[in-house]
Order: sequence, then structure tokens, then C-alpha cells
Amino acid sequence: MSKQIKRSVLLAPLLVGLPSIGHAVDTSDWLCESCPFEEGYRAEIDAGGTYVTDEAARFGNGTGYDEDGGYVAVDGYGRYVSGSYRLDWYAEDLGLDSRVLEIDGGHQGVFGFNLGYRELPYRRFDTSETVFSGSGGDTLVLPGTWTAAATTDGMTDLASSLRRQDIGSDREIIDVGADWMPAKGFRLFADFKRQTQDGIDIMAGSSFTQASLLPRWIDYETDQVDAGIEYSTGRGAVTLAYYLSDFSNNNASLTWDTPFTSSPGAEQLRMATAPDNEFQQVSLSGAYRAEMWDTVVAASVAIGNGEQDQAFLPYTINPNVVAPPLPTSNLDGDVDTTNYALTITARPIPKARVKLAYRYDERDNKTTQWGWDRVIVDLFNSGEIEENLPYSFERKTLSLSGEYVLWNDLRVSAGWDYKEIDRDFQEVAEHEIDDGWGQVRWRPTDWLNLRVKGGANERDINRYDESVAASFGQNPLMRKYNLAYRYREYGELVASISPVDSPVSLNTTMFYAEDRYNKSQLGLTESEELRVTLDINWSPTENSSLYVLLGQDAIDAFQLGSEQFGDQDWSAKHDDDFDHYGAGFVWRDADGKVDLRFDYNRGEGETRIDYLSGSGGQSSMPELESTLDSATIEASYRWNERITATFDLRYEQFELDDYTLVSPATIPTVLTLGADPYDYDVWAFGLGIRYNFGGGEITLAD
Amino acid sequence: MTTRIRRGLLLAALALTAIAAPAVAQDDEPKYSRKGADTCFQCHDDQVTLAVFRTKHAVPSDENSPFGHGQLQCEACHGPGGDHSGRVRRGQERPPVVLFGSDTTTPVPEQNAYCMDCHLSDAGAAWHGGSHDLNSIACADCHTSHAARDPVLSTATEAGVCFECHQQQRTKSLKPFAHPVRHGKMSCSDCHSSHGYTGDGMMTRQTVNDTCYECHAEMRGPFLWEHAPVPEDCGNCHDPHGSNYAGMLSMRPPTLCQGCHSQAGHPSLPQDERGLPENTPSQYLLGQSCLNCHDQVHGSNHPSGSKQMR
Repeated sequence: MSKQIKRSVLLAPLLVGLPSIGHAVDTSDWLCESCPFEEGYRAEIDAGGTYVTDEAARFGNGTGYDEDGGYVAVDGYGRYVSGSYRLDWYAEDLGLDSRVLEIDGGHQGVFGFNLGYRELPYRRFDTSETVFSGSGGDTLVLPGTWTAAATTDGMTDLASSLRRQDIGSDREIIDVGADWMPAKGFRLFADFKRQTQDGIDIMAGSSFTQASLLPRWIDYETDQVDAGIEYSTGRGAVTLAYYLSDFSNNNASLTWDTPFTSSPGAEQLRMATAPDNEFQQVSLSGAYRAEMWDTVVAASVAIGNGEQDQAFLPYTINPNVVAPPLPTSNLDGDVDTTNYALTITARPIPKARVKLAYRYDERDNKTTQWGWDRVIVDLFNSGEIEENLPYSFERKTLSLSGEYVLWNDLRVSAGWDYKEIDRDFQEVAEHEIDDGWGQVRWRPTDWLNLRVKGGANERDINRYDESVAASFGQNPLMRKYNLAYRYREYGELVASISPVDSPVSLNTTMFYAEDRYNKSQLGLTESEELRVTLDINWSPTENSSLYVLLGQDAIDAFQLGSEQFGDQDWSAKHDDDFDHYGAGFVWRDADGKVDLRFDYNRGEGETRIDYLSGSGGQSSMPELESTLDSATIEASYRWNERITATFDLRYEQFELDDYTLVSPATIPTVLTLGADPYDYDVWAFGLGIRYNFGGGEITLAD
Repeated sequence: MTTRIRRGLLLAALALTAIAAPAVAQDDEPKYSRKGADTCFQCHDDQVTLAVFRTKHAVPSDENSPFGHGQLQCEACHGPGGDHSGRVRRGQERPPVVLFGSDTTTPVPEQNAYCMDCHLSDAGAAWHGGSHDLNSIACADCHTSHAARDPVLSTATEAGVCFECHQQQRTKSLKPFAHPVRHGKMSCSDCHSSHGYTGDGMMTRQTVNDTCYECHAEMRGPFLWEHAPVPEDCGNCHDPHGSNYAGMLSMRPPTLCQGCHSQAGHPSLPQDERGLPENTPSQYLLGQSCLNCHDQVHGSNHPSGSKQMR
């Protein structure tokens, strides 16, 4: 038995008895005279400019660099300490649409506060075009000269009416929080967060046999509150918390002029957008460490309620469609959620550890069911009455597992997980998943660490209720992939090789899963997923390191369908691959004046659908290929203790062949926004100055 | 349960207790250094070590901080250093203190127990029994407690720490459609509770959907016309770590939709190359595919929205 394992075995029962802070040790001579406690102000500010060579929405997604030209940005952080009080600030990308500013401080151990502001740009298309105007409101209108047509190729004003319409939005997050420790072990906390999202998204508006892709203004606001009280001792902790999420949408609907030939009264159409809603939850969670068998018991209970009472729109705005009054003016939607969990871990003998866990999740949708006239896309009332289906479910999960230390740091473990889901109004009212697995962790030497895991699980269903499927008009042979019987086998390997005193280390992971939907005559029948990665790191000197990264993610699937609404008569094979190649290095000169960093990543995506049979015979869809090349060089030269000059260079190339992105008039019955498939390469050059205030080398106090 | 089995279980429990008991008895009184941190700094005065004075661990006014008044300073975390700082014979290896990280000689459970002594409530109630705990991940594998800015506590740098182990998720994050993690504008902990949670996937909220609704509350409803798989699990259709398909969908429409929908008429038809632009451009294949008309796949609150078209 190695020294390490002996220590582990002997120490395990003692862990709960470790000397806690405040342990009775005579520290009267521990004056900490040499301790360089922090006092005063220090900060680092990095200010500079960046020039971007080309305009590309996607390059600006997340970064804010979506336009070509110059940008000025400031980054930095700082701290001020005075006695017991501290104030920290952090800034990132000030000047860009991705800016971040965070401030936090307080009197540690007594109170604290934090303020945060963050923007997140979502940039989707800058090549899209529309004939509609009014995208900054809830009504889209066509040009006054517009001549409607049955198909897009007949829209004589289309080409002359198109104007650029970027698709994207900005998310702003404001965060304010505080905590207070009124007595030893107690902590009260409260946090308020407001997220707003403002911009243009795509919404598809149907006029039955035709549709238009519409630039919809989104104007969302979500307020979120987390507050609670926490009590902790060295042996346990308990938290009582409250959570509120209140969503409001300032555009409850979208109305648009249909560009297609329409029947009288249906020239203008309307859709509902996301309704305002609110969710509240109270939770109690805690953990307790008992000395016996190093047992830890953790439990949590959460009770929540969601409501939605947005006023309904009318069945239709077409005055020629006869529809009765709505059965209710709003849904008065009411969902109760219940979640509770219990986890017990124990080490009944030093070499063994066991875990028992149970979890229960429930969504109880108590919304009233009503009968609704079926008015089809503002055109006609079919005369049918449909009831809304408030979906509810219960999910119970039981897990048992154990690990045993065999020898020489060889650990074997095994477990069984059982999950049961009960549902309302769906084809499968109850399904059970049994998952059995085994794992070996082996660290034969200090430089080799291996973990191998394998298992199988079976999702069994009590009954696939075809009468429910029939009520939705489904082919009775269809088995929905999230409800169908499934048998899964999976395996995982993780290896880490770090030879002692060697500058090279290697990490590799592999995951494989194979799903068989053996009882499905239609739908997904099988799928396989393989994920492999390899990381190699080499540190030739103390001041330099190089790395190479490889990754692969491949998913294959097989699907059966029936165009004759009977037995399967078509099949499709899916290949979905992605490869990642990365490399880079970090280097610092011996004097610590020059820092250089280079990172390169290449991603290659390739997906393919082959129809193996069907009325169209064998048919291979064009491959959807994507390539991403992303490189960054960051260099800095430390002029003196205070001033550092910085330079960075970014390059990104991205191309995605996507046959679904077509011009506005390509599909006769769908007026698209005509966004082009992505294809750009952009360079961004940045120069800056970094200045240090205070700080510097930390030296022991005299 | 027969008397025999009960007796067997009792004997087994007694035996296990007996095995555990001697280990407790072997403990010696811990020996601390003579002058605490002043002793340690006689040797350990490098910048990496001293950077602890730029962290919350070294705040003398906080009685709970390791450097708070009357506390154990370096030895609060690194354990009793009396033997380590005492005299050793020439050639004799200096007795180690508690060191942090998976590549050190200190067993991970012992390291983590030191951290948990103060941070049990910070780590949350579910650390014990969570995936990281069961796989012996040391707190120090992710946290750099001596750094003025711990990389794993900053949105811009956190993913880099997580990806050292979660390499498969790193690969996915580079797919064409992914959350802005690779730009450092979103972190793994925006969704995952790395300290453990009892739900699937160690999410920050009670369920996967509750977590997604933090940023996508517009999908929460309840809607008048719900789409059955949505309130149960967003992961039924989306891969939030990244996808080759727009919207981070797990499969390309219309085949994703056809994995469930087989009504007579267009839902059941194979949308093959006959529908490509150069042939007969199909509204069921091109543009947004099924979503050209059934846009409201997350649910509709329109009285006429039963087919997710309003």
C-alpha cells in the first residue's frame, strides 16, 4: 500500500475532526509581524484602440466588434483597502457593446455589497432584408405601392422594396446585491437582477398556405430576486431562500400586412408573442456532517408557483370570420412546482464510500381547461372545439452507488440509478429508466491517472397509448424519441499522463453512447455518439509552454418515416460531425519584460442527411459544412514597473454552407429575409497601454 | 427479515465500527509552528505565496479569515506545521504539510475537508455526493486560493479552468451555434453549480428548465397551448453546449420535428433533395423549415394558436 493510500485510509475517519478555525491552539506568540496585509489603493488600467477590417455580424456576436472601423476600449481592475473595509472594481470592454463593470466591497465578515452591469450583444445576420417597415413597433406594414401575389415570384415590388434589416439584440444585465452577517454563523443575503433584451428577432407569420419571415421587435424585461438567510457551523449549514423571476414583454403581439394575395378581411394578420409571467419559489436546503462513518446528509425542499394572466388577443382580427366570445379573458395559468432531494454519503469503513440519493421533481399545471374554437390563421373557423392541455409531470430519481479502494490507489465503484416519470395528456403516461454502471479509477503511479466507466440503461414504458397519438392525428406507429422505449449502452475513458519531472503532459477523454429504440416502427430508431479529445502540453522552460488540442464529436442517427401514413416507407441516415484542432504557446522572456501568447483554434463541422428510401428514392442532401479559423496573438512589453505596452491581433474566418438560407423569392410560398450563409474573414488589430497604480511586488513587512 | 439475517447485519455493523475505531485512536496531538506565519515566511516568501495577502483569506479584521485575530494563519489551511518547520536531520525529508491540488501528496478528501471547514455553506448543501466530490476533485483543482483574482471566479476566464477537464464541452463550445462561452461572455457556472446539485447536470436551479428560464423567461409560460416536450426538458430539442445547427438544435429540422410528428400530409413526407432551391424549393425544407409556419414551438398564448401558428 502506498504512503498516499495509507494516509487516506487512516485519515478518512478523522476528516470531520480536523482542527477548525479557532481550534484551541496557543497563538499568543503568532504576531504575524512579517505579514504584508493589504492597505491602500492599487489598480491596473488597460486602455487602447482596436481596428476591425471588415463588417461581420457574427464576428461581433458576443464581442461587439460587428462593424468595421475603429473601437476604443478600457479594461481594468482595482482595489482600495482601508482597515477593515474593501472596495473592488472590475471593468471589461468599456466602450464596446460587450461592456462589463462590477463593483463589490464591504467589511469582510460583517457585510458586503455588489453592483454589476453587463451587456451581451447577440448578432445573428447583417445580410438580411425585408419589405416590411415598422420593425421598431408591434405592427409591420408593407410599402404603399405593394402589389400582393400568390407566390413570391409574382411580387413585382419585391426587389425594389427590400431594405437591409439586421437581426440581433442586446441584453443588458444590472445586478445589485448585499449580504450581512449579524452574528457568528448567520448570513442574510439579497440580490436583485434586471435583464433587458432589446432588438430584432425573426418570427414566422403564416397565412395558411403561405408564410412570411418577419423582423419582430423584442423588448423583454426580467426581474429576478434571490434572498435568504443562511446559518452555518463547522458541522452543518442550512439556507432558507426565496426566488422570484418576473418576466414582462412590452410587445404582446405582432401584427403584419400579408404580402400574399389574401381573402377579404385577412389582409392584416396578428400573432401573440411571449406572455408576461411570474415564478416564485421558496427553498430550504441544508447539510450536516456526522462523525459516525464520516456521514454527510444533505437535503433540500423547494416549493414554487408560476402564474401567467396576460390578456388574450381575440381569436382573429379578420372581421369576416365569425367567432364566439373567448371562454375567458386570460389563461389565469397556474403551475405549482415541488422539488425535494435527499443525499446521504458515508464511509462505513475507511476503504469504502457509499451514496444514497433520492430526488423528486413535480410540475403540476393546474391551469383550467377550456373549450376553444379552432380559428385557423385568421382565415376561417373550422367549427371544431379544442381543449388546452395543461401538461404536468412527476419525476422521481433514486441513486445508489458505492466505491471501494482495492489496492495501490485502485478504486472500483458501481451504481444503480432509477428514474420514473409520470405525465398527463401524453402518449406515454409512465416510463422508467434503470441505469447500471461500473467505474474503475486507477492511479498506479504519480504520473498516470485513469478512469474508465461503463454502463447500460433501459427506458421502459408502461404503454404507448396510441389513442392519445390518434387524437393528435399521429400515425399510430410513431414513437416519439423522448417517450419511446430505449436501450442505451455507454462507456467513458479519461486518462491523464504527467511523467514526473517531464515537461510533457497528456490528457485524453473518450465517451461513447449507443441508443437503440428497438420497439419503434417509426421515428428515431438508433443513434450513436462518439466524443474524443486529446490535450498535449509541453513546458520546455519555466517561462514557456506549448499546447496542442484535438477534439471530435460525432453523432450518427437513423430515422424511419411513413409518407403514406402506414408502415415505414422512407428512412434517413444522419451524420453530424465536428472536429476541433487547437494549438498555442505562452512565452515570457527571462527578465519578465516581454510576454507573448498565441492561440489558434480550427473547427470543422460537417453534417449530412442521406435518404435511403422513399418516394424520391435514394437521395443525399448537400453537406452542411462549416469551418472556423480563429487566431489570437497577444504581446506585451513591460516598459517599467508602471507602464506596459500591449498589442493584440485577432483573426477569424468562418464559413457555413447552409442550403436553407435562401433569397426572399426562392420559395414560392415563403417570403424569407434572404440572409446569406455566413462567409467572412476579419482581422482586428489592437494597441494599448497598461498602467499600474500602486501594487507592485509584495514584500514582507519589516 | 429472519433473526439470522438480522444478527448477521448487526455483527457486520459492529465489525465495521471496530475497523473504523482504531484509526481514530491513532491520532496524535497536532504540533503547530512556533510563531505561525512568521515562521512560514522565513522560507516561503515568494510572490505566489505572498499573493495570499491580496485575497479574502488574509483579512485580519475578519475573525473567520485564516489571518483573523487568534486564527491559525497559514496552518489554518496547510495544517499543523510544527514538524515541518522544526529541525530535521541532514538528508532527512522534511515532514510535509497539507498541500493542495490533485497532483500533491495530500489526499484529496483531506484537502477538501480543510476547505469545507469554513466553506461548507459556500459550497452548498450538495457538494458531498456530487460528481466532483465522488471523482475526488480537489477544491484546488479549480480554485487558486493564493491569487488576487481567482480565474475560476471570473466570467472571462472561468471556462478555461473548467475545460481543462471538460474537454468535450470545449469542443462543443466551438461549434457554429453555441452560447458565447468561448468569448468569455458567459461562464459554465451561469448554468452549472460546480459545487454540486442534486438535480440532473448539476444545474444552478432546481431543474434544467428552471435554469434555462433564468435568461429565457419568455419560454416559461405556462402557455395556453403548450408544446409537450418543452416544459419537461429543453434538452429534448436543444444541445446547450453547442450544435452544428441554428438554435443549438440537436438535429436539423424538419427531421428533428419528424422524430415526433407523423400526421398525414406534410409532416410525414421526407424532405429530400427534391425540395432544394435548384429543384422545387420546398417551404417544408428551406427557410425555417417547419417553423416557417409553426413558429411558436415553445408555446402559444393566442386563442387560435393550438398548432403553434399564432
